[in-house]
Amino acid sequence: MMANLFSIFEPSSSIFNFSLNWISTLLGLMFIPYLYWASPSRWSLCWSEIIFTLHKEFKALLTPYSLGSTLFFVGLFSMILYNNFLGLLPYVFTSSSHMAMTLALSLPLWVTLMLSGWINHTQHMFAHLVPQGTPSILMPFMVLIETISNIIRPGTLAVRLAANMIAGHLLLTLLGNTGPSMSSSIILSMLIFSQILLLTLESAVAIIQSYVFAVLSTLYTGEIN
Amino acid sequence: MTVSPEGLQEVRPLVLVRPTSTSAVQRAEQRDEANFPRPVRPVEPGKVRLGFVPEEWFQFLYPKTGVTGPYVLGLGLTTFLCSKEIYVMEHEYYTGISILLMVVYAVKKFGPVIGQTLDKKIEDIEQSWRDYREGSIIQVKESMEKEKEAQLSAKGQDMLFDAKRENVALQLEAAYRERLARVHSEVKKRLDYQLEVANVKTRLQQKHMVDWIVKNVKGSITPAQEAATLKQCMADLKALAPKA
Repeated sequence: MMANLFSIFEPSSSIFNFSLNWISTLLGLMFIPYLYWASPSRWSLCWSEIIFTLHKEFKALLTPYSLGSTLFFVGLFSMILYNNFLGLLPYVFTSSSHMAMTLALSLPLWVTLMLSGWINHTQHMFAHLVPQGTPSILMPFMVLIETISNIIRPGTLAVRLAANMIAGHLLLTLLGNTGPSMSSSIILSMLIFSQILLLTLESAVAIIQSYVFAVLSTLYTGEIN
Repeated sequence: MTVSPEGLQEVRPLVLVRPTSTSAVQRAEQRDEANFPRPVRPVEPGKVRLGFVPEEWFQFLYPKTGVTGPYVLGLGLTTFLCSKEIYVMEHEYYTGISILLMVVYAVKKFGPVIGQTLDKKIEDIEQSWRDYREGSIIQVKESMEKEKEAQLSAKGQDMLFDAKRENVALQLEAAYRERLARVHSEVKKRLDYQLEVANVKTRLQQKHMVDWIVKNVKGSITPAQEAATLKQCMADLKALAPKA
């Protein structure tokens, strides 16, 4: 039984105080096809098309110096996608709704980019703080603003993903909670219908948010050169 | 869409395993095909009923419970779980129902279309392999034909060499004869020259001799003899004149 509305997000299944919920992060590995045969199956072809499209997308955004990192970003995308998408299914824990996980993804990434950018391309990073075409009077403010936007980047990446997931799940839970106390079946069918709509939205949001995360990370990577 | 085994058959070579261990276990030189058959790629997915329950389970229960057995089992089990509140139908349940309806709808509506598109793409990939294989075979056959032609033309080269050899011999012969003729003419020129020189010498000698004789003879004619000869000639002419 739910203590409060947010208890759906609590990692609850545990062995000796060791939360097992987080294993759902790795559930996506079960869905990635493995190629034993030379000829692809339907799902394996589908998956290859998806990640190849992503690879082309990211390749366009990255500089020639860092083209190999499409592997990392496509992997990041798939992990977040599976986490978001499978979290919509009943009884699957959504690990990307926790700041613990999203911050764990975005903060090391951002720190890496900042360190490598500022140590290796200091001049370039300083130049990036002032966008092209700003009037000279505004330059100090621009530097301030850009610095702040740079600093809050890991926060925005993490919070965007977590908040979107939490919001979606909260709405679904709220709708579903009225189910057991439903009397007439007409309202029940309306409930199911609205849940279907919401789920459509949530699936789209799941995919979009993972894509946004990956694309923004790619952009930040491309910026340091 | 089937992958014909004849099309993609390859000869698996015998892998001889050299025993490196001292244990008594003998490793077979050939794979035991009866007990450990090689995996075959399944073309169609496994048969299911109701979309997710494998057909094998129904077959397993058929001898004991008949045709309706598995269905009764499913219905009874779910009823038991729900009525005893072992499975509580709370918010996740309604989410599950919505998802089930969505998935069934999506599979029924978009499933065949997507399946056909993907199957076509797979067929294209396999066709490209087959085309490559066929193309290689055709190319190799063509190069075999070309090789045979090259061999034939190489045989013709022998005759060509003989003709060329003959040609060269003819040229050499012609050159030799021409030089011979030249030598002949040169020698003849030299000899002609010598001949001319000798002729000229003889002529000069003769002329000189004649002149000398004539000079001497003319010199030896005394005037008395000259006058007497002239007189005699006049008399002869006078004697001849009336006769003419």
